Amino acid sequence: MAQALGQIQQSNFVPKKWQIINLAVLLVLIIFPFVAGTFQTNLMAKLLLFGILGVSLDLVWGFTGILSFAHGVFFTLGGYAMAYYLKLNLSATANNYGGNIPDFMVWNGLKELPWFIAPLQFFPIAVIAMVVIPAGFAYAIGSFIFRSKVSGVYITVITLAIASALTTFFVSQQAYTGGTNGITDVSKLMLFGMVVPPIGIYFIILAFAALTLAGSWWLTKSNFGLILRSIKENEQRISYLGYDVASFKIFIWTLSAGIAGICGGLFVPLNNFISPVYLGVAFGTQVVIWVAVGGRGTLFGPIIAAILLGQLQNSVDRITQDWQLIVGIILMLVVLFLPDGLMSLLPKKLLTSSSNKKLLASSSDQLEKA
Amino acid sequence: MMNSQGSVLSVKDLKVVFSGFKALKGVNLEVGKNEIVTIIGPNGAGKSTLLDAIVGKSPVASGHVYYQGQDITNKSSHEIARMGIGRKFQNPNVYNELSVFDNILLALKGTHGVFSSIRAKLTAAKKDKIISVLDRIGLLEQGYAKVSSLSHGQKQWVEIGMVLAQDPAVVLLDEPTAGMTADETYATGEIIKTIATSHSVVVIEHDMEFVKQIAQRLVVLHQGEKLTEGSVAEVQSNPKVIEVYLGREQINAA
Repeated sequence: MAQALGQIQQSNFVPKKWQIINLAVLLVLIIFPFVAGTFQTNLMAKLLLFGILGVSLDLVWGFTGILSFAHGVFFTLGGYAMAYYLKLNLSATANNYGGNIPDFMVWNGLKELPWFIAPLQFFPIAVIAMVVIPAGFAYAIGSFIFRSKVSGVYITVITLAIASALTTFFVSQQAYTGGTNGITDVSKLMLFGMVVPPIGIYFIILAFAALTLAGSWWLTKSNFGLILRSIKENEQRISYLGYDVASFKIFIWTLSAGIAGICGGLFVPLNNFISPVYLGVAFGTQVVIWVAVGGRGTLFGPIIAAILLGQLQNSVDRITQDWQLIVGIILMLVVLFLPDGLMSLLPKKLLTSSSNKKLLASSSDQLEKA
Repeated sequence: MMNSQGSVLSVKDLKVVFSGFKALKGVNLEVGKNEIVTIIGPNGAGKSTLLDAIVGKSPVASGHVYYQGQDITNKSSHEIARMGIGRKFQNPNVYNELSVFDNILLALKGTHGVFSSIRAKLTAAKKDKIISVLDRIGLLEQGYAKVSSLSHGQKQWVEIGMVLAQDPAVVLLDEPTAGMTADETYATGEIIKTIATSHSVVVIEHDMEFVKQIAQRLVVLHQGEKLTEGSVAEVQSNPKVIEVYLGREQINAA
């Protein structure tokens, strides 16, 4: 009987049909850049990044119940790390303003590269920084808010404040951050002495997306994921079972920010610039919308929503400038009629094993015999 | 009265104040090894507050709580739980969105750290333990049902199962039979007696039939103070108790 119960757990892990669908989608995404043009390849790469940014928020919101508007902040911190690297590696000839320092620093009267930006000219340091800076920042604020008595909606208010404060800060430090414009005209990403073509960036992003999604799935199906869901439902109860709720929240919050940072870092070679726009509440809200429309606690939902809404925006943009109105209407419809998001349209059977009942029946039969 | 040397749990002159209101006015309580202590008293006597203060839910204004000789006053809830004090709440405090199996799994005694929970595997030993708990609370067939689909009484059983899985040295039960039928109540009483063969148990109850079934030592709380304590017979014949508590119930029953 114990064995039968064990089988249930295992078959719950990745249902067969869902595995097949995922492989099929992955295959389509692998073929996609060879069929679609450069524009669509770049757009799809961008939407995949946005989708994964949504997944990172889903880990803290959908699974743990912490609604954050600061995921744009973590994204942008990773973005700046990569943007500094690419900017600092522009060849001297491409930099019209001469010298070894970026144009915006020259314009703002800096004579030397600031010591805290200088290390980012080295690729390994930039890559580490794109994860460690957003994760470290998240760890610092997370340790503060989750160890304090702050909870629920007040945490969300703090994330809004962080997004606003950092936007103001980055805009005001023009000499170091490029101000409102951000860091523009960055160099192409070079790997192994070659410029990475758009299709190369697409595949880097696709690989990152697939790995992150698989990792998140595994994590949320583990005992750890079970604890996250219990924190979401009733965090006080779980502490009476001996779990230190704050350390679980801080961990998933930091991990989530690290993923968001990588998204931001990969976004820069694709987008060719980063600016404080992505720090702001408006972008942070977009991430929330992807998760809400796709379905909280579904992991796949935010990616589907980011791709659908992004493609919709792309097509509507040609007809009217008011695509945000359409996104707004979709959001209201989803909230009203589909509170669990687009993923709830999929048949439940796909995501859970259908053999549960049979196995359970057989296990109780065995018990009666025993 | 038990001397505090032999006590597993010892509460000394405990005071709890809620914005001016004195919920507990200096309560003493000793719980010995494998003993069942039943707390009775009218509503607002401070019974649940006493348990809250023991598990770190309500801040203690003054006084001390000792667990196996160690001062645990105002420690955080998860630390107190890890040391070996388990709590069942008045209303079934279970995870409605999770299966019965997962509720028990969460409560299982063992590693509760972040990284250990990521690495944790559902071993055969854990499964066997969960199955034995499910069997004991009579919910084996509903093992994979969401708790939200269970009846009120069954939810109470799930939470008792969680306490069993947690396997604490001291079990605190706040009205474990609320909402149960007479049969379920009786069965719960028998479970509590089995638990008490290897655990110390503190039970808050209203149902005098149930109290008679399980009680060894009775403590009566009234308006944040201990009125008296003793055997069921002693307490029942105590004129003060009859006046503030039992008498009123008998009048109500009549």
